[in-house]
Amino acid sequence: MALEHVKAVIRPSGLDQAWEEKQKLGRQARFLGGGVDLAVFAPSSIEALIDLRDLGLSTIAFDEGEMIIGATATMAEIMESPEAGRCGGGLLVDVLRQVASPLQRNIATFGGTLGSAHPWSDVIPALLVLDARIGVFDGAARVVSTEEYLAGRRERMAPLVTSVRIPSEPALGASFITFGRSAFDVGILNCACAVAQEEDRLKRVRIAVGGTPALARRLKRTEQAIEGSSLDSIPFTEIDPTVADEIDVRDDRRASAAYRRTLACVAVRRGIQKAVERMNGGRT
Amino acid sequence: MKIGLTINGQNQAFEATPGESLLDVLRRNGYIDVKKGCGTGDCGACAVLFNGRAVNSCLILAAKANGAEVLTVAGLAPAGELHPIQQAFLDEGAVQCGYCTPGMVISAYDLLSRNNDPTDEEIQEAIAGNLCRCTGYVKQVDAIRKAGAIMRGEANE
Repeated sequence: MALEHVKAVIRPSGLDQAWEEKQKLGRQARFLGGGVDLAVFAPSSIEALIDLRDLGLSTIAFDEGEMIIGATATMAEIMESPEAGRCGGGLLVDVLRQVASPLQRNIATFGGTLGSAHPWSDVIPALLVLDARIGVFDGAARVVSTEEYLAGRRERMAPLVTSVRIPSEPALGASFITFGRSAFDVGILNCACAVAQEEDRLKRVRIAVGGTPALARRLKRTEQAIEGSSLDSIPFTEIDPTVADEIDVRDDRRASAAYRRTLACVAVRRGIQKAVERMNGGRT
Repeated sequence: MKIGLTINGQNQAFEATPGESLLDVLRRNGYIDVKKGCGTGDCGACAVLFNGRAVNSCLILAAKANGAEVLTVAGLAPAGELHPIQQAFLDEGAVQCGYCTPGMVISAYDLLSRNNDPTDEEIQEAIAGNLCRCTGYVKQVDAIRKAGAIMRGEANE
């Protein structure tokens, strides 16, 4: 049992109290939302759990063009919400359908996903290309970009994630591809893409690649190279070297860096093509 | 800590350590119809209905389970009369060694409670987290399809 040393369970009634307890207990305490990550990956040194159930973080709402997902809403609840299918070209539902199993999606949350931020996360690339913003609390409530959240959590004590905010953008075309050995296995590499259109040109191109085995990040030079391309003549051959150069790949037990570099070029090509097809109403 | 649970309609209180799994709490207290397989959320043998949804009980910490409503496969037949899903599993030969069956039945129950006329694709998706190493899933899908028909009143048990 990974969490055999847990002695205390604290149930704060507000965000202030939750954060105070976390600051007081530091690394010995973890926030408890869905608890999937804690059950499987938590270090045995944890001595206290800060149970978030009374903080009202499990709602899903739509407000001013944004889908606002509470940090402790389950992935199943997100998939089943009427807003999710309309949000970001349907990407959110597509990705969640590929995350683990229905049994796990009935427990797992976006708060846990972002709190652990595993490099193999399929959700994080999607949040990056959808321009999702993260509601956090670290003594004060703030909303930051997904990139800012991911960068910040490496530098200091990670804030408490309270919500994920995804712009509606119904005209977006988006796609998600993961390469794995089996349906449940952690992917060798994953890739999310999103595009919009102005006349017959691509705009707002977003590409995020993860599981390389580094944590997902956007390929901004590749995005710029594709931005403004004509819909029917995207210069993939010219873009491949940029993808290969920009991507952060390493060897691990799942795949070599060289294989991942080649795979990334394929993933970006297929992902952008699929996103363009979806933007134009075609499903693949 | 002491945790309170409603299990198969009965209020119960158990001693548990906060970091142990609901699965271990249940089995230690006699609910051995909930099977222990991988312990990491991969096989689905330990599935129970947790506040109305099918989950891997090995991934639910006791601290989170406190106050929850739990339904195990035995709770589907409280007076000994099998639920249509359980009966369909027997009738269709969807049980071989039987170890995956409790979890598989719970996943089917979660699906059919919300949608009693699922497509085969929806059935396959619903049991995607339940691994069976004996039968190859065809008979389970047949059984769940048949159970749906019984629950809709379109077929007899």
